[in-house]
Amino acid sequence: MFPELNSILSSSPDSFRTGDFIVLSDRQADASFLIHHYLSFYLRAGCKVCFLGLVQSFSHYSAVSQRLGVSLTQAREKGQLVFLEGLKDSIGVISQEESSQSKLPLSYLRSPGAGLECLFKFVESSVRQNGENEDGEKWGPPVLLIDDLSVLLSLGVSAGAILDFTLYCQATICSELQGNIVILVRREEEDVDDEGSNLLQKGVIHQCSLALHVEGLPTGYCRDIHGQMEVWWRSREFAMYNQRKMFHYKVHDKGASFFARGTSSAVL
Amino acid sequence: MLLNIVHGTESGGFIVIEDTVKYSGREILKCFINAALKRGEDVHVMGFETSEAELRAGLDSSCVQKIHFHKGHPDPLGWTCKSSFTVQQFTTRDITRLVQNTPYNKASVLIVDSLSFVLRHHQPVVICQRLQELKKVGVVKTIVGLLHSDLHLQGVVESVCHLANAVISVAPANNEHCGVAKTTRRTKSGKLMQEEEYFDMSEDAALSVQTRPHQPGHVQTEPDKPKADPTSNLTFNLRLSKKEKEAKEKVALPFVFSQEKKSALLRPTPGSGRITYEPDANDDFDEEDPDDDLDV
Repeated sequence: MFPELNSILSSSPDSFRTGDFIVLSDRQADASFLIHHYLSFYLRAGCKVCFLGLVQSFSHYSAVSQRLGVSLTQAREKGQLVFLEGLKDSIGVISQEESSQSKLPLSYLRSPGAGLECLFKFVESSVRQNGENEDGEKWGPPVLLIDDLSVLLSLGVSAGAILDFTLYCQATICSELQGNIVILVRREEEDVDDEGSNLLQKGVIHQCSLALHVEGLPTGYCRDIHGQMEVWWRSREFAMYNQRKMFHYKVHDKGASFFARGTSSAVL
Repeated sequence: MLLNIVHGTESGGFIVIEDTVKYSGREILKCFINAALKRGEDVHVMGFETSEAELRAGLDSSCVQKIHFHKGHPDPLGWTCKSSFTVQQFTTRDITRLVQNTPYNKASVLIVDSLSFVLRHHQPVVICQRLQELKKVGVVKTIVGLLHSDLHLQGVVESVCHLANAVISVAPANNEHCGVAKTTRRTKSGKLMQEEEYFDMSEDAALSVQTRPHQPGHVQTEPDKPKADPTSNLTFNLRLSKKEKEAKEKVALPFVFSQEKKSALLRPTPGSGRITYEPDANDDFDEEDPDDDLDV
């Protein structure tokens, strides 16, 4: 996790808001470093994490988390982390070699028009599973992480069905169980005019309480600043309600640093 | 106008609150609920997008018992069999039955949160028909719906707003905590009235309208102060007499190309050079002035 981002958002693994729906979005940049931040953040905080990793393998997230000081393998063995490995499991679903129950969450691959009800049921059962950590205490509030939601659009699921899925997740995880949700929604250059992509992004932002948007610098490539990130506090409970602030960031080997615009160490 | 509509001074009908990601209209929806409860009317809420707890927060606790929540949320599609009302039941017959089933029902207000969710699951044409039927049947006096205008095609938004008696579009006011509401109201005679107002919401869902955003909390109309005459009380004279004004108006400005200047330039002055041209046998000499058609 990134300490500077924690101070910008006024949160830490010891004290963080619950019931939050956080949307990470990007445009012509890669916001997945924020997913790694939240993954290590919530694991450190002792929460029960359900991670839908639809675009990368488990070993990829594991390797990055190792650099951030968290072991995903251990967390999965302890039962703190439930990981849905989309890439690996999807081959089985598409070729229909195995018809076991565990493949049901990815049933949208065979029938995208049917919606994401099965995926939601998988998420619900994962977060409702009671478990205990080594000290015999229950895990903290449940957290759902999705990387990334827009890949479902490419697989043929309609934007409306995805928004229904996120609404159900929010109702169960945020409202009922007082947990958090972090979703990554990406947009490629070609998607700028794509209605489904627009609708999905606007729809999740309507539902969210905090939106982090990552973009490249408008002035072009810079070696010392990898891009800009806009933080939009959308919930009425924030003192900074409906305000947006822009920061610059730089991603390095073991984390990312955030600074106010114009205060990069290369410039000062 | 916004306050009149919220407080129900203008009689009922179908009211649409249009919002975007930039500013949420849900707070104005709560103001409608609050105002209806204070008038003693029955309020039926179809909540699909937000929980009952969230909508109840901030409402007047003494009247909160009179709200009938038809729980779409947390299960608006029936996936977990937890809800009493799914989006598929958004039909004229089902809504009429729900409203008529409440004891001592009077002057009901129907709140839909949100119309965007309903439109996602039904054909827009069908929903427009049902809304129109509900208006005609008369079992509900007022219908107030929240519509996220950036989640639909423009045609769909306009079709729904066309049915409405009043449309309130909310947007953020520049650099202020308050918002700006553009209200469009259609009277029974067909006259269209529009107004733009700045508004603010208090914690107990009370709406306050401001005319100027720089003076929060005041609704003022300042009388026009008489403008001070800058030429009075000076030690030198800045005024012009009548003759001086006339002479001033007659002065030819230096760079304006008037008729007199043009003829003065074209008139040959004595002593200037002259050009004489003797056409050759092969030349095609045309007596006409080639610049004749120029509008100089």
